[in-house]
Amino acid sequence: MKSKGLKTFFHNLLLAVLAFIWIIPIAWLLFTSFSSYDGINTSSFFPKEWSIKHYVQLFQPDTVAQFPRWFLNTFVIACFSCVISTMFTLMVAYATSVMRFKMRKPLMNVAVILNLFPGMLSMIAVYFVLKMFNLTNNHLGLILVYSASSGLGYLIAKGFFDTVPRALCEAAKIDGCSESKIFFKMIIPLSRPIIVYTVISSFLAPWMDFVYAKIILNAGISSQYTVSIGLYRMLDKSLINSYFTLFCAGGILISIPISILFMLMQKFYVEGVTGGAVKG
Amino acid sequence: MASKKKKSAGQAIGGFFKAIGGFFAEFGKAVAKGDFFTKLSLIWMGAGYARRKQYIKAIIMTVLEAAVIWFTVAFSTRYVPKFGTLGTVKAEMIFDPVTMKNIMNDYDHSFKILLYSLICFVVWFTFFIIWIKNVTNAYKLQLKAQNGEHINTFIEDVKTYKDEKFHITLLTLPVLGIVIFTVIPILLLILVAFTNYDQNHMPPTELFTWVGFDNFARLFGGGGLSSTFGYTFVRVLGWTLVWAFFSTLTTYIGGILLSLLINNRRTKLPKLWRTLFVVTIAVPQFVSLLLVRNFFANGGIVNTFCEAIGLTGWLNDIGLISTSYIPFLSAPGWAHVMIIIINIWIGVPYQMLIATGVLMNLPADQIESARIDGAKPRQIFAKITMPYMLFITGPTLVTDFVKNINNFNVIYLLTEGVYTTTNQALANSQAKEVDLLVTWLFRLTQDYYNYKMASVIGIMVFIICSVFTLVAFNRMIKGDREETFQ
Repeated sequence: MKSKGLKTFFHNLLLAVLAFIWIIPIAWLLFTSFSSYDGINTSSFFPKEWSIKHYVQLFQPDTVAQFPRWFLNTFVIACFSCVISTMFTLMVAYATSVMRFKMRKPLMNVAVILNLFPGMLSMIAVYFVLKMFNLTNNHLGLILVYSASSGLGYLIAKGFFDTVPRALCEAAKIDGCSESKIFFKMIIPLSRPIIVYTVISSFLAPWMDFVYAKIILNAGISSQYTVSIGLYRMLDKSLINSYFTLFCAGGILISIPISILFMLMQKFYVEGVTGGAVKG
Repeated sequence: MASKKKKSAGQAIGGFFKAIGGFFAEFGKAVAKGDFFTKLSLIWMGAGYARRKQYIKAIIMTVLEAAVIWFTVAFSTRYVPKFGTLGTVKAEMIFDPVTMKNIMNDYDHSFKILLYSLICFVVWFTFFIIWIKNVTNAYKLQLKAQNGEHINTFIEDVKTYKDEKFHITLLTLPVLGIVIFTVIPILLLILVAFTNYDQNHMPPTELFTWVGFDNFARLFGGGGLSSTFGYTFVRVLGWTLVWAFFSTLTTYIGGILLSLLINNRRTKLPKLWRTLFVVTIAVPQFVSLLLVRNFFANGGIVNTFCEAIGLTGWLNDIGLISTSYIPFLSAPGWAHVMIIIINIWIGVPYQMLIATGVLMNLPADQIESARIDGAKPRQIFAKITMPYMLFITGPTLVTDFVKNINNFNVIYLLTEGVYTTTNQALANSQAKEVDLLVTWLFRLTQDYYNYKMASVIGIMVFIICSVFTLVAFNRMIKGDREETFQ
């Protein structure tokens, strides 16, 4: 009995050690954000003087750091691209999963091939296309970048729709339901987990993304930035010594809402994805 | 297995050509057997519909046809004829005798010619399909009229788009988005790979032109002594594959081990532990990775710590480092190992989540019966849990491998601006030891405007990814399995 208790103790100790290692950098981020010093503190883990002045400073924009503005920009972009991507993803997923038509298989094969091209490659060309239409350094351009190709990411939602019993749709059809009615009145209400997952993940994409925003918003106009490039700029070699703590504070503030959404999403992710996969 | 794969691939290709053949056969039949109005639809697209009193459709088709003709005359003629040369008139200032000022001449913009020609080709291709489809439709209408069947009114036609043609309604916008934002860009860059579009040939001031396979030859070591692209490509490709292999393997194994550890019945508060690990990936990567990069900086806090406990001095003594700090992210070797370790930090929680999901869905009845039959926990683990886990998550290994080949964030955020290469050959090609093909490609375009080589590298990345995926293609694409559980 005693050895069993000891085993349990060591088991949990091991987990604690691992969790400790995993959490150190995040803890450093949190502690540093409360430092009163502007640059990087390289001599000790905890700040020498504690203060919340950098959180206050975040809401007093200067020429470099315009956090409230960035937050608003990202929020607007995220809302629009979330609506468009969710619609596109669900539309493609339903069409490929539930409906049967001649071009279904060929289209799915093309999607597989297109997904193999590095996104970076097409993005460089997208930049030129957007430039021709004067959409670079423009939030509309960024929204299009995030959402226009979202139909290609339909596989997870399709995997979920595949698990909806076909007999249900057949029965509805015999009762005289049109395909659109089946889609809106049956499949959508049945697919709450995957819809929540799609909504959250497409809402999060602009908050997490860094590269695409950097390519499209390349003119260096600070008021146009999204949070990610704004924060990235703060760590520029010439700025890091006066903005590092502010970066940490901004990082914490932005991480809180994102983490909450992320936690929500991963619950639905596990429900929607593995649930479907396992039944297969 | 191999023969089976070959067969299914052959079938897929055969089916594809069959479909195309059928498409044209239908068209041929329509042209041969159609009446006057069906044949007239070859020239006037609304003819067939107008004859069957589908006037609204006739008008729509006529307007579409007129629009495409107008597009061809007013727009395409300015660019497509120059597609073969990509322009010959260089931009320069000329003296205008009317206004007595220097003005820009009517110059050719190579990139505009390339892009707009490509758009024209796509538009024409689409129109061609619609045109053929239109004639076959006219023929179908003719047959219906001859047999005295009911011919849909416009309202009825619209209604079919809510029912049996609902997929067209659903797919039109997403496909349009994909064509404009993925297909056209990819085609464009494939074309650029065959031109000399780089810093010395930047429109609008300079022209660029077709160079055939020169860029590919250069990547594979051609181009004489001045070219170091061949050497760099091999180096970068090598590291890309090593990175993709180790990062995939470590996070996969680590994730499964961690999920087993957390979901063990000895664990107190499993939810708390899971949350702690997930927090690290819930923080956006550009925050966490930029932070870690400063954490491990040459003058950073980890170095301060290592110096305090004497680790730096000891490493100096045994000759592993020759600096007064540990170059975690700034020396080859060190940086490579650190990047993979930091990636474990980022990647394991992800895999843990997926593995947890699988563990929770273990076939409970099998485990129960095994237990009744007297199997020990270890046996259950080795004979049921692990095989099941590998079966479900195995295919993700391939997708993860491809994802890691293209893992831009980790490499770029950790090393950009921190790591400087001392290898002259690499530096000449604007690469570093820690670059992946995608980060190299990114730097070539963003900082050096070397679009031709970037496109070639992009194509190589695509080929590598497709080879790996093709190997696992039949397993991953559950096209044939999808209906078994509906």
